[in-house]
Amino acid sequence: MSISPEAEERVERLVRTWMSTGRNEEVDLTVSELSDVGSLLSVVKALGEFLTSEEDEPRTKGVEFLSLVLGRFPPEKLSRQSVRVLVTFFRGKLEDTETIVPALEGLATLVTLPNFASSDAIDIIQSLFKHVKMRALVQSVRFTVFTIVDGLIAKHRDALKGLGKDFLTGYIALAEGEKDPRNLLLAFAIARVLLIEFDVTDHVEDLFNITFCYFPITFRPPPDDPYRITTEDLKSTLRGCLNATPLFGPLAIPLFLEKLTAGTPNTKKDTLQTLDECLPIYGASVARANARKLWNTLKLEIFQPTNSDIEAEALKTTQVLIQTIYSDKDSSAEATGEEIEGLAREACDECIKILKEPEKSQAKPATKILCAFMSTTPSVAKFTLSQAVPHLVKLFLNPDEAPNRAPTLRLLSDIIIAARDSTLHNADALPDEVVVPLSAFKDEVLGVLTVGLKATSTSRPALDGLKGMVTTQGLLTDEEVGFVVHNVNELLSEDEDEDVSEAILDLLTSISVTAPRHISQTTLPLLFTSLPDRAPPRSAENERHKYWRTLAFLKRLCVQSDLFEMLVVRLTTKLDLIFSPTPLSSEEETDEQVDDEPSAAYAHSILRTLADVLKIKVDKGDVDAQKYIDRLLPRLYHLHNFASLSTIERDWLAADARLVNVTAEIVTLIMQVQTVQKQEIFLSSLFAAFIDGEAKKVAEGLRKLPEGKLFLPFDTSANSRQKNLIILFTSPIIALYKEVKLPTPDEDAFLDKLLLWGIFVANTNSEREAAFQAIASVINKRTSSFSEFLSNLLEKFWISTAGNRSTAVERRKKVINAWTWITKALLIQNHALTQKFVDKLFELFDDPTVSWDAARSIGKVVASDKVLTKRHHATIKILHAQRFFNSVLPRIVQGAKDSEDPQKQNAYLVALTSLIKSIPKTTYTHELPSLMPLLLRGLDLPDAEIRANVIDTFLATADPASKENTESMVSEHASSLVSTMLKNCMVEEMPSVRLRISALRYLAVLPSLVRYDLLHPQKAIVIRELAKVLDDPKRAVRKEAVEARTNWFKYTG
Amino acid sequence: MSAEIFNPNPTIFATTKSKTTYAKPSSLWLDESDESDEDELDGNNEREEIDQDEIFELIRSISDPEHRSMTLEQLAVVSAPQISFDSPSSSSRRNVTVEFTPTVPHCGMSTFIGLSIRVRLLRSLPNRFKVEIRVKPGSHQSENALNKQLNDKERVAAALENPALVEVLEQCLAGATA
Repeated sequence: MSISPEAEERVERLVRTWMSTGRNEEVDLTVSELSDVGSLLSVVKALGEFLTSEEDEPRTKGVEFLSLVLGRFPPEKLSRQSVRVLVTFFRGKLEDTETIVPALEGLATLVTLPNFASSDAIDIIQSLFKHVKMRALVQSVRFTVFTIVDGLIAKHRDALKGLGKDFLTGYIALAEGEKDPRNLLLAFAIARVLLIEFDVTDHVEDLFNITFCYFPITFRPPPDDPYRITTEDLKSTLRGCLNATPLFGPLAIPLFLEKLTAGTPNTKKDTLQTLDECLPIYGASVARANARKLWNTLKLEIFQPTNSDIEAEALKTTQVLIQTIYSDKDSSAEATGEEIEGLAREACDECIKILKEPEKSQAKPATKILCAFMSTTPSVAKFTLSQAVPHLVKLFLNPDEAPNRAPTLRLLSDIIIAARDSTLHNADALPDEVVVPLSAFKDEVLGVLTVGLKATSTSRPALDGLKGMVTTQGLLTDEEVGFVVHNVNELLSEDEDEDVSEAILDLLTSISVTAPRHISQTTLPLLFTSLPDRAPPRSAENERHKYWRTLAFLKRLCVQSDLFEMLVVRLTTKLDLIFSPTPLSSEEETDEQVDDEPSAAYAHSILRTLADVLKIKVDKGDVDAQKYIDRLLPRLYHLHNFASLSTIERDWLAADARLVNVTAEIVTLIMQVQTVQKQEIFLSSLFAAFIDGEAKKVAEGLRKLPEGKLFLPFDTSANSRQKNLIILFTSPIIALYKEVKLPTPDEDAFLDKLLLWGIFVANTNSEREAAFQAIASVINKRTSSFSEFLSNLLEKFWISTAGNRSTAVERRKKVINAWTWITKALLIQNHALTQKFVDKLFELFDDPTVSWDAARSIGKVVASDKVLTKRHHATIKILHAQRFFNSVLPRIVQGAKDSEDPQKQNAYLVALTSLIKSIPKTTYTHELPSLMPLLLRGLDLPDAEIRANVIDTFLATADPASKENTESMVSEHASSLVSTMLKNCMVEEMPSVRLRISALRYLAVLPSLVRYDLLHPQKAIVIRELAKVLDDPKRAVRKEAVEARTNWFKYTG
Repeated sequence: MSAEIFNPNPTIFATTKSKTTYAKPSSLWLDESDESDEDELDGNNEREEIDQDEIFELIRSISDPEHRSMTLEQLAVVSAPQISFDSPSSSSRRNVTVEFTPTVPHCGMSTFIGLSIRVRLLRSLPNRFKVEIRVKPGSHQSENALNKQLNDKERVAAALENPALVEVLEQCLAGATA
């Protein structure tokens, strides 16, 4: 197809215009003129005069225009013929220094075209080698050259291979000396292909030179690098070259060794990681030839590590080295039973020699090496075990070495664990197919470990070793596990230190997962019988400590469902025994003062254990927790109801508020995992008992509830024990689903009653809180059912109580407390009424008698709590804290700044500190710089708790890692902060321990937050003043003072 | 610091562990965390005297200058029983003697170890404490010279004028690293 003369003219015009404007528009127009023709001939024609110009600029521009047009030309439209012509054209332009740059651009486009042929590839590459002098070109042009080569290699590899030697020498000359990371990424990728696919036998050294000269990569990307090339990118592409051919092996190993000995920690790490990738490629013979040298260097990094990171890498590389040497002959060796020779044997011998003194510091790294061998090849692992295990067993049994038994067992345990965790196991193999390497030594190891259990010094490592064995699949028989449990049980009665107890529990818990039978049949009965039926007397501290320990064990062991059932049965029986009437002996009868508190404390510990295990189970989502609504709760209610009704003083024990609180926890835990129906059924019995006085509706127990006694805990005249049981009435309510209604004819009236009870009748704080929490929980879940109740609160109740200055102060404070809970119930669901409720609190800010209580509530309403939670099926909207913070902050800041009345101003400060303390850090961090001055004023308020809260806020936001953010904010106030903290950490001026500790902690972080020159003048004062705090009466305070003072000593410019 | 290594492969000892405390020793109850109690406790400033364990707590974590990854406690250079008071806990001036045991009798690092203990206690104990630091009798070849050096105020002060020495000292005081 040819082009019309009109079009030809238009192209000519476009070329001329472009020459003066250089706009893209003309390029595009030219492309659209010609795209149907499939030829650029007319452009070349139109460019004629420029291309042959004597002057430099027109020639450059001429070629550039052609390249640009080509770059935008639809690739499939260019005919083979045109491509051919263009290749020749651009190649010709490479000779001219003025046209080489655009010509390369043109070639880069041509290479990608479908009609580009292999013969073109050869022509181009030869021209490149002949005319391109990389050193004379700038980075971007060199990049184009690499792109062309890369494109040619990708599409016309075979043609280039045909060039043989010429291509390789040509390319090596081209790539040599490149320094730019962008170009290097391409060059490395090209080199990898050459090394793998081309015959490089004669060029190994040259290729080695143009790749290994970059190792190790020390490139650090400049900040805000637009190319986003990371050190990691370069490292990994370079590694792709270094490990591309086994031919590099003999040249590379000496270089790696040199870098390992002389390098910086970073170089060492890079070298080790590179070795990990290269050694397997370089192959067994290279590895074997250099084994000694490599081992000697690696050893150094293991025995005298630069840091723990490099130590781990060196161990890994040692593994790779061993694997490389032994993997190829491993299968044959195993078949013939051939002995291990060479490095593995030598290294093993070396380590075993060091292990002759297991108590010395070098024994640890030696063991680490042996452990590393466990994950190399099966035959090496087997060999290592056969060397190390008998050695350590013999050492243990040697009477001369008796003092070193503990470290010996420690090392043995490490090896058992390494054998267990060996990566050699085939995860897919069937259990009976697995050959456990340790099996061969099972009996003697088990023997040594059980002996180790018996002595205090060796029991800890022995337990770890046993755990290693028990958790090795297919190692021990069921009978042997029983033997282990039996031996460990003997330790249970002894009072061991925490580490040993922890190890015992750890071992038994791991057994309870796989073989619960052994635990339930031997361990648990032992523990249950060691629990006394009656509480030990007040003076028997040891007995008490013992039952605490037993209960702590049971708590850990009885999480599994069968074991938990056993726990519930045995512990509830124990509770009945504790509270059963004492068969009074004659002496005790005369002694009127029987001390009952230990019994209550014992029962409390038992209930605590049940609550703790239930918590673990509920958190884990164990379904068997559900059934205890029928099995456990009636027993517990009975216990407490009985105590509240009985007229005998001893029976009142179970009504102790501390016991009731733990039971309440248990009730809530069990209630929250029930279905809606189950909750409804339980709730109707609960109301029958607590509202209608039928105490036995929720209770079930051995002793009959006293007849004729009234169970009316809500009654104003109820005894204090009964009143306290309200906590057990509210604890199921807080876990209700929103579908569950209260079984009472008038729910509004009922909440009213509960509210008034909390304010007027409740005896203790926890009773009051319980009532308010129940109200909040019900309102939160079913807000719409209580709109009348809520509006009544806002319109009438508030005005007559908290809002009324003639009401007694104590009562107003109680109302504020109730108000806080109700507001919270609305706030966490972003309810529209929240604002109205919060407004009421703000109204109290100018009333000095209650302003601080109201102000504290501003924080409390948004603080997270344990009642209104997802677990308890509360309605919670995300970001409610953020929303609330944003809505009240301006008001608080304004109030704290403007108010004329200093009293009122302080109330706003209290509100601010309380608010900040209650919300997540991320919510307020961005506001902190502007809030700093106010918070600093908060530090002057005469209240230790507020001050401590402010300092804790400072501490929470003091992050030395993001110094830039905090520095400016803190620096401005640094010196006043220092003097305030010093004032607050002196016992003479500040009785609060908590505040003293917070102040010292902040003093301790200040040096890491503030530039030295800013606080230099205060250094001497701080050190002098803190010397006084070193003599604080409280140990915990002294500890912080030491820390702070040390940091100030180290604080230098 | 000289590059000579005095004891390349020292013996490691087990460190002491604390007993489980489920509650305060005198308490009947497992947890007394009633909030009202806490408020009361906060203002309670009944004196807890500085004892052997508290001083040991200060020096146990100092790292050995020759083996930075190990603490003086692990190498049994210091121990709680080697700390003694020669005046009753109530007196206003208290003399404390801290004894330490070099791992080998020719240990050239002993002065440095003693100095690091000295500096830690200088920074961490109230002024009314007078500290004497000694090597365990018979555990070092130049015992007398060492003891004299470590308790000579001026020589300690002079040593702390040497910035290179102070730098290593700070590292050891910062505790075991690996």
